[in-house]
Amino acid sequence: MPLGDIGAAIGIGLTYFTIIYLTGLGGLFSERSGIVNIGLEGMMIIGTVTGSWGTHHFTLPAPEGLGWGLPWGPIMGLLIGMLAGAAFASIHALVTVTFRVDQIVSGVVINLVAIGLARFLSTIFFGQATQSNPGQPHLNPVDLPLLSHLPWGLGAAFQRLSPMVVVAILMVFPVWFSLYRTRWGLRLRSCGENPEAARSLGVRVAPLRYEGVLLSGALAGLAGAYLSVEVTYGWGEGQTLGLGFIALAALILSNWNPIRLMLAAFIFGFAQAIPLRLMDAPVLRLIPDQFVRMTPYVVTIVVLAGFVGRVRPPAAAGRAYEGATT
Amino acid sequence: MATAPLAAPQVGSRERPEWIENLAGQLLALIVALVIALLLGSVIIIAYGESPGTVYGAIFHYGFGTKNGFGYVLTEATPLIFSALAVAVCFKGGMFNIGVEGQYLVGMVTASWAALKLDFLPGPLLMWVAIAFGILGGIVWAVIPGILKVRTGAHEVVTTIMMNGIAVSLVAWAINGPLKYTQQAGFHTPNLRTDAFRASAKIPDLGHLFGIGSSVHLSWLLIGAVVTAALVWFLLKRMRLGYEARAIGASPGSARAGGISIGQVQIKLFVISGALAGLVGMQQLLGDKNYLPIGYEAALGFTGIAVAFLGQNNPIGIVAAAILWGVLARGETAVQIQTTVPREFVIILQGILIISVVVTYQLAKRRLLARQLQTAADVEELADSAAAVDVEGLAKEDR
Repeated sequence: MPLGDIGAAIGIGLTYFTIIYLTGLGGLFSERSGIVNIGLEGMMIIGTVTGSWGTHHFTLPAPEGLGWGLPWGPIMGLLIGMLAGAAFASIHALVTVTFRVDQIVSGVVINLVAIGLARFLSTIFFGQATQSNPGQPHLNPVDLPLLSHLPWGLGAAFQRLSPMVVVAILMVFPVWFSLYRTRWGLRLRSCGENPEAARSLGVRVAPLRYEGVLLSGALAGLAGAYLSVEVTYGWGEGQTLGLGFIALAALILSNWNPIRLMLAAFIFGFAQAIPLRLMDAPVLRLIPDQFVRMTPYVVTIVVLAGFVGRVRPPAAAGRAYEGATT
Repeated sequence: MATAPLAAPQVGSRERPEWIENLAGQLLALIVALVIALLLGSVIIIAYGESPGTVYGAIFHYGFGTKNGFGYVLTEATPLIFSALAVAVCFKGGMFNIGVEGQYLVGMVTASWAALKLDFLPGPLLMWVAIAFGILGGIVWAVIPGILKVRTGAHEVVTTIMMNGIAVSLVAWAINGPLKYTQQAGFHTPNLRTDAFRASAKIPDLGHLFGIGSSVHLSWLLIGAVVTAALVWFLLKRMRLGYEARAIGASPGSARAGGISIGQVQIKLFVISGALAGLVGMQQLLGDKNYLPIGYEAALGFTGIAVAFLGQNNPIGIVAAAILWGVLARGETAVQIQTTVPREFVIILQGILIISVVVTYQLAKRRLLARQLQTAADVEELADSAAAVDVEGLAKEDR
């Protein structure tokens, strides 16, 4: 098999890594604060449709001397997708933290509502329910230094990547620092482990859980916006393909750790690339391509089944905090 | 000895059977949720410059105004009843079967296989065998996440979603491979569907008995769905498995302490849930089309989750909720034709309704629980005072 194919597959893997990693980090903040977030997929969906709208809406010829020559369309699209994801996540926060509804029930509802809301928003934004208008601009792709010069075609993996891939990779630093080296991070994690004890030490549980859920919505929304702005160059219904759930699986595989989550996200991201790029690889060529298409899902199930018993979720995740809500 | 009256727990006028309290609470919560949804919906309607009365009137009229209209509603409700029941069975046991979507797709493939390859079967037997194969397909697809959950602890929400993704590819493979279209192309594009089944595979029409047109495709499966709902109610309320499921759903720890084998019960629930899911596609497959088209993605599985929540996972409630959902689904067309509001408004209305329902049910449940705790505390207090009297009596006796 030519290594170039593998290089290209790694490149696609990095694209999906970005989506899965950003969304997974969202799940990380939420679950570390003690709120299980099955609704990541829905928050991504909201990010896709609003991100696409933001890109279209802000792509205007900037007045002379303004705009600094930056591609404001895609930048605003990404930001708006992020904000919209957070706004949408506030429903999950309200329902689970304030009304203490079962967190999985709420997450499932969030996903149901997101599909409908996306269609509704799409009719407002684009005048049609299931896709955006063509001609959507995107950020200029970048080559990663050094890596893009790898020989045997492997360098192709690191050429012409969206700048967002770099952003996602760098995201590990602020996330790790905020969770493990700040007072806020310690308090957030304590809410996910033992909210009663945290409360007895003067930590206000509910606001922290709100913050965790809103952050998770922002990151999932950003991931969705990245998908529609930087990967597919437009919104289309159903384009999230269950990636929000795959991100959840990656989060479990990572044992709720932002550094290990990078590896997990890349494994699942690469699995996505197999049916797209490695169809013609020696063994895979013999299998009907509908079966090759199952790879990402099968990989997710197998990995989840194999690892779930060996990891430890935040102890209080999924459990409503019954104490004072302020 | 004890001469003092050992007070029966007569706690004021609040002495009503528990199920009436539950039912009243659920109904009240549903009504409140409906009112909230309609009010918030009105805000959107007014923003579009329409009158809420016109829009809601159009939805109501399309659903209930004509015989055929109501027939469509019932046809729409038929698969949703099965789908919501499948969700509810798992939910009662504290599990989420989000994979009804994939389970019914697989059920449609296996049922199609039976209808095409076993077409030597005489008369209506072919229909029954096809349905049985549909059930079997649903079971196979549901039992995998069930076993994975019990054996490895892999959460069923993630695994069932992944099984959905696999099912979509499986259907594509079946239609391009073993069930490929072989008949004369005619007006249809080949490759996008299977061959037509024999007419004997079709589920008989029910609508004509009530003067509903045959184009509505209201089939006997509706009766089947209602009967199934009754059976599921019986299973959950009156059978050992249902009791065990509810015990696990309420508190897995107590259920285990009570000697219930949680894993076994959960797998059984997934089997039943899968069987119900296998029936979801039958209305389209055997009640309407009589062949399997590709790209069949009606999202009946996900809608079933909404209907199950709306019906509070109660089989009787589910039948009502499915009909309500059918009215709303049909309302999309009404809104589009008769008003200036886009049809997607109805989806938003459904979304608001589901969120409100989930929240109001939760609040009602908490209120009820608080009340029961209060009642229990009152009873305890009475019992305490009775015991105190008793002690006095004993003391007197001793003297």
